[in-house]
Amino acid sequence: MIERNIWVHALTALPADELLDLTASLSDDWQVRPKAIPQAGLGMLRLNDSAFDEPFFLGEFPLASAWLEVQTPDGVIAEGAAQLMDERLELAEALALCDAILANRLPGWEQLALLLEQGMARREQIRRERTQMLAGTQVDFSLLEDAGDDDA
Amino acid sequence: MLNPDPIWLPEAQQRHFRLLLDAMARPGTCHAISNKPEEGPLVLSVLASLLDAEVSLADPHRLLRSDDWPKLQAASVAVEQADYVVCSGARVPDFTPSLGTLTEPERSATLILVVGQLGRGTSRLTLSGPGIANTATLQIDGLEPQWLDMREDWVSSFPLGVDLILLDEHQVTALPRTTKVELH
Repeated sequence: MIERNIWVHALTALPADELLDLTASLSDDWQVRPKAIPQAGLGMLRLNDSAFDEPFFLGEFPLASAWLEVQTPDGVIAEGAAQLMDERLELAEALALCDAILANRLPGWEQLALLLEQGMARREQIRRERTQMLAGTQVDFSLLEDAGDDDA
Repeated sequence: MLNPDPIWLPEAQQRHFRLLLDAMARPGTCHAISNKPEEGPLVLSVLASLLDAEVSLADPHRLLRSDDWPKLQAASVAVEQADYVVCSGARVPDFTPSLGTLTEPERSATLILVVGQLGRGTSRLTLSGPGIANTATLQIDGLEPQWLDMREDWVSSFPLGVDLILLDEHQVTALPRTTKVELH
């Protein structure tokens, strides 16, 4: 299966509604408890400037995180977590649930594994499109030499 | 989807923070805590309104459960360096908390003492100072008198010192460093 550290990357390539509906149906009769307080807000990236080594904030970005514990009706307890650059708390919670389901092979993990494959395929498609666009912007500076130096 | 205990939600946290402000402004007055945790000790309600990821906490008497720490977000540090220290008032203090510095007295520790009962008990304190008209009386059960002796030392070099928050199973009160305390 796809590495756990890119599950969020793969799943966020898919429509959020699809993920929210699936996790809601899978966890319908489960107990879901927060391990940490789910939060959505702004993250700030702190860097040090190269001249004086003084800290400064590069900027703000949306950030949501969730860490939860689930208990299935047959008593299996599992944990999952997710952190993503997004402002939707419910999406972070759904992804944390996906993490718990996939990591512990809870009921419904096969459906999520399929979504993972779809997400990775979508990510690969996006990567190819971006590579093509980037290739279209490349400038061949060697042509300048052929044009000669008009100022000479 | 997730339904955290209401003590972790902004409404309760703001209400409890207001309560603590009132307690600090009028030392020795007792204020009922409106939202109690569904699980765990009452001190969680106070800690939830004070702590975040920017501050540190020490729990030398192990009053908190391991599950509480991720929700509080605060870093766990040695008691001498902690911004907040949660302790049992029934146990003798065996540490010196951070008292701040002359340039940064606000970097001193806030001690949160869990006592047996507020409003009645064997320790009878007479309080005076800012926020108190003349004097006020506070009775406490389950507070080791040595806490007050140590506090006297800690606040003797104002503005250095510590602020105390005391709570029992229902209510909270505060003794800021400016309050003069006499034990009878």
